[in-house]
Amino acid sequence: MSSKTAKPVMHSAAWRISLWATLAFACGTLLVFVFLHQFVANDIQRRSDAWLSGEVEVLGDVAEQTPKNALYDRVVGEVAELAGKEVPNKDLSAGTSNDSVFFLQTSAGGAPMLWVGAGSGEENLKAIRAARIAPDRPTDLRVRGFGIPFRVAATRIDDGSYIYLGLSERDELRVLRIMRLRFLLLWLLLVLLGFGIVFYTAHRMLSLVRRITEAASRIGHSDLSARVPTSARRDEVGSLALTLNHMLDRIENSMHQLHTITDSLAHDLRSPLTAIRGKLEMSLSAGSLDDNSEPIVSVIEELDRLTEFLNKSLDVAEAKADALRLTRCEIDLEELLRIMIDLYEPSMSEKGLQISLQSGGPLKIEADEAMIHRMIANLFDNELKHLPAASTINLLLKADESGASLILEDDGPGFDPEILPHLFERRVKGRKSNGHGLGLAFIDAVVRAHGGAVSAGNRDCGGARIIINLPL
Amino acid sequence: MRLLLVEDEIDIQSFLRTSLEEAGYEVEAAADGKTAELLAVDGSFDILIVDLGLPDIDGISLILKLRQLGVRAPVLILSARRSVDDRVRGLEQGGDDYLTKPFALAELLARLRNLLRRNSPPASEATRLRVLDLELDLLRREATRSGQILQLTPQEFVLLEYLCRNAGRVVTRSMILDKVWGMRIQPDTNVVDVHIYRLRGKVDGPGQKPLIRTLRGVGYVLKDR
Repeated sequence: MSSKTAKPVMHSAAWRISLWATLAFACGTLLVFVFLHQFVANDIQRRSDAWLSGEVEVLGDVAEQTPKNALYDRVVGEVAELAGKEVPNKDLSAGTSNDSVFFLQTSAGGAPMLWVGAGSGEENLKAIRAARIAPDRPTDLRVRGFGIPFRVAATRIDDGSYIYLGLSERDELRVLRIMRLRFLLLWLLLVLLGFGIVFYTAHRMLSLVRRITEAASRIGHSDLSARVPTSARRDEVGSLALTLNHMLDRIENSMHQLHTITDSLAHDLRSPLTAIRGKLEMSLSAGSLDDNSEPIVSVIEELDRLTEFLNKSLDVAEAKADALRLTRCEIDLEELLRIMIDLYEPSMSEKGLQISLQSGGPLKIEADEAMIHRMIANLFDNELKHLPAASTINLLLKADESGASLILEDDGPGFDPEILPHLFERRVKGRKSNGHGLGLAFIDAVVRAHGGAVSAGNRDCGGARIIINLPL
Repeated sequence: MRLLLVEDEIDIQSFLRTSLEEAGYEVEAAADGKTAELLAVDGSFDILIVDLGLPDIDGISLILKLRQLGVRAPVLILSARRSVDDRVRGLEQGGDDYLTKPFALAELLARLRNLLRRNSPPASEATRLRVLDLELDLLRREATRSGQILQLTPQEFVLLEYLCRNAGRVVTRSMILDKVWGMRIQPDTNVVDVHIYRLRGKVDGPGQKPLIRTLRGVGYVLKDR
């Protein structure tokens, strides 16, 4: 795998997709559970309330109809105890007796008359007095010493006394608690599993996309023969790869067409130029060098300029279409610059120009040596032609991780502000320029073909600045 | 020297034939691959000039075919194409040379001489070069004219050495750029001329017979007579 996969997995799209999917899944299941839980809890309460209302009515009838004699307490107490036995008591931790149900009869003043249940009923009485329970509607009652509130129903009988029947829902609530715990565990497991599955599939899907991206980025300016990897599956990613490859086929084809056109154009123009030049040269050597030779000589020189113009035009045309053909090898940019400065220095000092190079030592890049030679020659020719006498040219060569950068600064008049936005276009030249306006376009073409970038502008303190960035 | 010229453009073929014959070569010409093949196998040539754009066969394929048929002579490839084919580079490695059209006759002749020299047994490398009263000590990198030491920069010495090695023959600006600076460029400006002016200022002192002569539109020549 390339360096691109080395970045943390948290930054990948697969990670984000699985995170959001898992979040949605987790929220959804949680919502469903809360709803179910609420439904079950409500149902439990409804059942308890129905039972309580029925029982308290029956007990009220019994209390009313039982004569108030010595047996009253026993009769009512036994009926209440019987009712209490209908309620299962699985949680015996609190004691041996069933404390999940109590029966209490109080006088109109609130004094206890009859207590059936576990313990003395003191706390229950205190709680009931504090809570003022309305008859016929069961309510929650918190009693000290019990973690779970009682559900209490009350009724008033004819003699003015009140009957309270209390029921603890702790068994049902215990079941609910266990359900909650199990669900939570299961939910966590499901969420993790879901995340894993989504991440795995998304990662696999997207790694194919990443491989396509990597392959596509490797398909450089000059090498169009490579293709992106395809998968056997006919899904979206598979067809993306196929579409990309079809597109590359078409691009390669038009590139080939372009090369054929420029090659034949070059051939068709160069052959007559060769013949003309040769014949001129022959007439020159035949008549030796006398005054008559002057026109011939200047024609030959014009022909050479025309040839160079033709070469540059075709190079720029190809480069504008990202189709410049390069033969790359390792070159030392610093050494190359020193040799070229050595070549140009006499011409420059003849014109009163000074040139200097600042550099941090040898700088190896992968580039087409002949193209770089021609590019630098263009750069220097430009300076030679446009700088007034007594100007200085400073070259700064430096390298960092992103590549090599060559900064050229002079203290001449700078670029004509009118043409500044169009510097790298063909045929653009300053009003006073006598060139054919290909120099900077050619420089831009060569640098772009190497995968670099050029920028040009004027310095604040006057003079031009050209910055060339080339990859290593 | 027997030379086979394979070129389909009649104009180019005719002026090349004339110039080459003037330069002392015995020239046979062919306008297509088939004729070239017949001629090359029958007659023994010392050197071949092959144009890449032939009507019936690609120039490179022709050269490779001739090599298979046992033709050993070095080849100067003429190309009107824009890019230098990888196979041309291959041939260049193998001792052949190439020249892009249009070219200066002087350069063509110089490259032919080079190819012939490369194929002949190397003469023992001289450590001194002498042209008239100009003398170069190649070991000490020192040049003298009439016994007077010339103050030359290392680059000027290399340039003068190149002119001396080609004394009496025309060298073009692009030949100088190629051989002295190692680059195939065509500057818009007179960079080579300025080097020559400076060198001439040092070599041809006042009152001395000028040795370095400019042939405008062609190049330079170091006189040996």
